[in-house]
Order: sequence, then structure tokens, then C-alpha cells
Amino acid sequence: MVGGNMKTRPVLFVVSIVLASALPALAHHSFSAEYDAGKPISVTGVVKKVEWQNPHIWFYVEVKDAAGKTTTWGFSGGPPGMLARRGITRDVLKVGDVIKVEGFRAKDGSNNASGGNVTFADGRKVFAGAAEDVVPR
Amino acid sequence: MKNLVPVILLGLLPAALLAQGQTIRRTPDGKPDFTGVWAGPGFTHRVGPGDTDTPQVTTYDPAKMAPFKPGGEAFMTRRVTGDPVKDDPTAACLPNGLTRQILSPYAQQWIQAPGQLVILYEYMHFFRVIPTDGRPHSKDVESTWMGDSVGKWEGDTLVIDTIGLKEWMMDATHDSKPDQLRIHSDQLHMIERLRYIDPTTVSYQVTIDDPRIFTAPWSQDFQMKLHPTWKIFEFV
Repeated sequence: MVGGNMKTRPVLFVVSIVLASALPALAHHSFSAEYDAGKPISVTGVVKKVEWQNPHIWFYVEVKDAAGKTTTWGFSGGPPGMLARRGITRDVLKVGDVIKVEGFRAKDGSNNASGGNVTFADGRKVFAGAAEDVVPR
Repeated sequence: MKNLVPVILLGLLPAALLAQGQTIRRTPDGKPDFTGVWAGPGFTHRVGPGDTDTPQVTTYDPAKMAPFKPGGEAFMTRRVTGDPVKDDPTAACLPNGLTRQILSPYAQQWIQAPGQLVILYEYMHFFRVIPTDGRPHSKDVESTWMGDSVGKWEGDTLVIDTIGLKEWMMDATHDSKPDQLRIHSDQLHMIERLRYIDPTTVSYQVTIDDPRIFTAPWSQDFQMKLHPTWKIFEFV
């Protein structure tokens, strides 16, 4: 289910510090310009930081592989206003939450991606992207 | 005449609905009052708990379009170039412009005063100040992204007429068809017709008259929904 849970079970996102190393390449994200719908990505990890700001929220997830190496992925979600229209507020995601994120990789090959579906440890799922973003299936 | 019957009946529908005891807000001069924060055509208008609504990509429907003039379709439909700024200028913070702004999946605040209407679009802070006293367009209109709009009342319908638009993106077609763009010409003449269907819903008809592309004007019907608890957010 995409986005529907939020109307009845609001989940919370929390603001944290900005990661200067993961600034978006363009001020306004345009999915087709920045992300590759042919390169889906799915990671599970720990939320390290969240930027609840316009034009697009960003959240950062630390992922540990089998060898213990950690990689931080930056996900660009929808604008705060657009998310609020769907009932998604800044309290939805907390630093330390373990989440699975499904999105699409940036065309520039960086560790940035569009942040589409977010699934929480308890199974709750929200669509954190913008209306114009491609929704992971 | 036979074909006009459904059109006439549809035209009477809003009045009929409102006649069932529903009343719309009106300004002191008796005009319908569109003041408020609205979810425009870029939303589903399915209102959920907490006055929620769902933004969605909305585009102009090819099935509604008039036949093309020779070369019109090639002018309107472009292949993406791979240059993000050319393929979607909003990525470089350039305006949606009209007609695309109408379909924006962001809220908009309308402020109605005697003789004028102000529309504040959340998306990138664009605004329109539209005289509604029936005046004609200014002479020597300069082409801009939002154009020159003038309004007049036809009964309870507000009619907004816009010219003076740059050649620019018609809508966000590239979001549904990543290899395509749709462009309108600088000859575009756009007409918006607004009237209440019920106390929180407005019929929003857009007529596109672009003689560079089409053989005739054509129209598409949308709606906008009033959200009493909303305010517009910063989006820069």
C-alpha cells in the first residue's frame, strides 16, 4: 500500500542536522532530470539524519553490508507542504529508526536516490516522495 | 441543437445542486467568493481525515485537444534532449508558467477583493493579480511566464482571459512520458471559467486557444477543492 496508511496511522519524521556532503545537484528536484527510473534501489538501515525543508526533504540512511562496511545513502523526498497535504508531518521519521527505503538512484552515480516507499520495522509503509516522482513497485 | 442539450443540462447542474439548500460564500457585492486555500486541479480531491488531499500529476488530455494544424503536433510535442534545464526548466528554478501552473500539485491561496482577484501559488511563490472589473487587456503586452490576465463575471461564473505568454511548457507530460515534452506557443490565448458546484468545490474549466498548434480552441474540465484548515507553505 502506498501512502494510504498515513491517513489513519500517522507516522512521525524528526528533523536533524544537515549532511553537507550530500547536497542535491539541482535546487528543485525533477525526477526525470535527476533520477533513473531504470535503476531501482532498496536499502535497509538506520536513519542518521533528516532535513525537513523545502523544496524537498532529505533523509540519510546508514546501511551496513555483510562485511560490516557502512555506506550512507541520501534520499530526496517530497516537499514538506506536499507531504503535509497527505497528512505526513515532520515527526514521521525518527533518527535511529530502522527503515527500508525503495527509490531510484541518482543519474550522477552518487549515493543519492529518490526516496519513495519507506517501510518501518513494524510494517507501516508511507510514500515519502513527491507527486511527480516515480513510485517504486 | 441536439448535441447542445447535454451541454446545457451540464451547465444547469451547478445551479441545480446549489438550489437544494446549499449556499456558497459571497462577497458584499454579491459575487461568489473564491477566497480561501484550494487544492487545484493537481489533486485527487478525495478529502481524508485531517482535511488531507492527495497531490497527483495532472496533464492536459490529448483526447480533449482540437485537431492539429499542419506542423502543430511537431511544434507541441518535443523529444527530451538530456539537458535537465531544457527538459524541465523548473529544475533550474525557472517558472512553471501558464498553462502548467494551473495543474500544479501544490496548494494555492485565492484572495478576492472588489474588482480584483489575487492568486498565490505555493509552488515557487508565483502570483497573479487579476482585475475582475471587465477591463480589456493592456496594450503592448510583454510576453511573460504568467501572462496578462483580465477577469469578468458572467453571472456566477468568473471568466479569466490570459494572453502574453512565452513559448513554454504546457504541462508536466515528461513525468508520465519521460521521453516527451509538450510546449505551447507564444500565440496562446487561455480562458479559465470558474464556478461553484457545491460550497467547497469549484468547476475549473481551462480553454486553450493556440492557433500556432491547433485548428480550434479546446477545453478541459477540472475542479478545485476548498481546504479550510490549510495554509500555503514556503516553497523556493
